[in-house]
Order: sequence, then C-alpha cells, then structure tokens
Amino acid sequence: MGHSLPIMTLDSLNPLLAAGGIAAPEIPGLGWLTNSILVAAIVTFTVVLFVRMATKRMELIPGPKQNFVEFVIEFLYGQVEGIVGKHVAPRAFPLLATVFIFIITANWFGLIPGVGTIGFGEEKLAFLSLKEVSDPILRPATADLNMTLALAVVFMVVWAWLSVSELGLWGTIVHIFGPKGGLQGFLKYALMPIFIFVGVIEIVSIIFRPMSLSLRLLGNIFAGETLLVTMGGLGEVLGASGFVAWILSVALPLPFYFLEILVGALQATVFTLLCGVYIKLSTTHDDEEHH
Amino acid sequence: MEGILETFGLAWPKFISQVVIVLIVYFILSKYAFGPILAMLEARRQRITDGEENLKKIESELEKAEEKVQGMLDEANGDAERLIAEARESAESVRNQKTQEAVKEAQSIIEKAREASKLEHEKAMNELKSDFGRLLIDATSKVTGKVLDDSDQKRINDETAGQVAL
Repeated sequence: MGHSLPIMTLDSLNPLLAAGGIAAPEIPGLGWLTNSILVAAIVTFTVVLFVRMATKRMELIPGPKQNFVEFVIEFLYGQVEGIVGKHVAPRAFPLLATVFIFIITANWFGLIPGVGTIGFGEEKLAFLSLKEVSDPILRPATADLNMTLALAVVFMVVWAWLSVSELGLWGTIVHIFGPKGGLQGFLKYALMPIFIFVGVIEIVSIIFRPMSLSLRLLGNIFAGETLLVTMGGLGEVLGASGFVAWILSVALPLPFYFLEILVGALQATVFTLLCGVYIKLSTTHDDEEHH
Repeated sequence: MEGILETFGLAWPKFISQVVIVLIVYFILSKYAFGPILAMLEARRQRITDGEENLKKIESELEKAEEKVQGMLDEANGDAERLIAEARESAESVRNQKTQEAVKEAQSIIEKAREASKLEHEKAMNELKSDFGRLLIDATSKVTGKVLDDSDQKRINDETAGQVAL
C-alpha cells in the first residue's frame, strides 16, 4: 500500500541541453541545410523586408516605420562615431550596424515560442506530439558556431581592409610592431625588441579575435537556450505530472525569458562594441595617440 | 581537431552559407538602409540649419520692418499733429474773424438803433412841443378872451418850446 515517490537523482538535475546539442542539426531530408541556417535566412528576410518597407518611399516627415529605422540608425551612428571617431565612422558604420541589427534580431528571434521546440524526434507520444524533440526545425541563428564565426570572419576581413586603407600596409605593420609612446633616440632602438615581442603578442591576439568573438556569442545564446529548455522541463524532472507539469513548463521559464531578452541585447552590444574598439585600435594614427 | 569541429557542427558548406547570409544582409542594409537613411538625416539636418538661418533672417527683417513701420508711424503722427495744429490755428483765426465781424455788425445795428431812437425821440419831442404850444395858446385865449394874432402865437410858442426844452 505504499505510494511510490519520484526518485530524484543527480542525473535528473543535470541541465538538459538545448535540443540538438551545441551543433546545429541538419533538417532531415535537406542535406547540409541546418535549422540555424534556415533561421538566419528568415531573420535576413525579415530585416530586409522591414527595412525596404521603411525606406521605399522616404519622406522628410517620416512615417512610423521610417521613423523607427531612422531612430535606430541615428542612435547606432552616434555610438559608432563615439568609438571609432568621425573620420573612420562613415566606413565602419555599415558593418558595425549590420552586425548589431542582425545579432539582436537573431537573438530575440530565438525567444519566439516554437523555436527549438518544434521539430523531429523518435519517441512519439501521440499524433503531432513527441516525447523529446531531437532535431528542431528552428534554432536561434546565433546558437550555431558557423554563424557566429561567419560574423566574426566577415568583420575581420572588413577590419583588415579598414586598417590597411587607413594606415597603409607598412603603416599597419609599424603600428603593430613599431615603438609606442613617441619614444625617440637611443631608447627607441633599445626597446625595439620589446616592441617587436609585443607586436607578436598583438598578432596572436588578432588571430584569436574571431574565435573569442564567435565563441562568446555562441556560448551566451546557447546557454540561454539551454536555460530555457531546462526550466521548461524542470517540472517533470521534479516529478510533477499532467496539468501541474504543464503550468510549471510555462511559469518556470517565464522570468528567464526576460533575462534572455536582456542577454540578447547585451551580447549584440558586446560583439559590436568589441568590433568598434578593434577598429579604433587599428586605425588610430600613432601621432593621434600622443595628443 | 576534427572532433572539436564535429562537436560544434562546423562544416564548410554551413559556414559559407552563413557568410553569404551575413554578406547579403551587409550589402542590402548598406545600399537600402544606411545610405538613404543617413542621407535623409543629413538632408533634414541641413533643412533645420537652413530653417534656423532663415528664421534669423526673417527675425532681422521683421525687426527692420518694425523699425520702418515705427518710423512711418512717428512721421504720420507728426504730420497729423501738425495738420491738427494748423487746422486749429485756422479755425481760431476764422472764429476770431467771424467774432469780430459779428461784433462789428452788432455795433452797427446798435448804432443804427440808437440813431433811429434818437430821431424818434426828437420827432416826438417836436410834436409834443407843437401840441403843448397849441394847447397853451388855446388856454391863453380862453383865459384872456383875447384873440391872439400870429405874432402873439409865435411868441408864446417860442417861450413854451424854450421852457419845455428845459
């Protein structure tokens, strides 16, 4: 006559990974097309469509859509100009603004209900109902290293072009390996080995920039997805069933949705800010630094 | 290394697709969003600057126009005051002239009336004297019973007239 209590083990408390694991799964039957590529395409289409609608018939007295786009672009331009300076801002702005707009849209798109939870799986509970979704159809585009690395690599290419076009090839090399702090005379030559060594460290840090940028973004967004999945399934893990489990699956992730809205905006800002700082560091003339 | 790539799902086709997507967004936003919007913002900024300059110009012109209007008003006020003063002087002069004419006319009327009155008075006195003399003669002739001749009558008349005149 004893009631069986749900047994909690340490395994059951482990966070569930977001559906599909850290590697974005391919959509069954579509070859290499992953769910994150699909979402990236949807995000691109959404952004482009909205921007085209807002800017198709621009007027001096703007409508709501044009006004919103103008507000975003003016705000971003002000921020970019503040970081990279007035001289470089016109050339750096398109990339930095694209990166910010794309990342924030992709991050927030991942919070739409259904992203990561609708897809394919093995164990069927009922018609159109699975015990576990192993291959979701949609996945946040920025929760895929291919996308975050693509963003970082595109940035690095534009960064290299901006640096060389601003300082010249020789100027860039001197900027990295040359003496800093306006040193002259004997001291300049005496400290040259140290500056060259610092330059080598700088090169290493530049090489690692794409990885640090892409992994930071991937880690944060994938962790957010995992957190939401864990919170959504926590009720069942703790032994709740039926209606209570359903309520908990909605209520428990809810506060974390607000957190993820914040994280989504924050990660877009951090990525863009770091890109801006890298541009600023590599396009500042040495004589400007001394003033 | 291969294991890491597999764990993260890194693969050339997927990576290149994502690069292409990023580039598409980059080029489309640059062409259709950033360029036109920044141009529009610049146009609006320029328009506001022009508007401010025009406003200053208009304010300056307004100030000048107000000064001009004030000058014209002052001038018009001066003219009006001068005209009023002239009209007042003219009216005073006319009034004086008319008054003098009226006084003169009144004096003339009074003078004429006075002369007429004097003549009437003299006429009445003469008639009175004549009547009084005749009465006196009648009375004298009745008292004395003497028929008075012409020389008596004349003497009595003269004496009476002389006494009545006193």
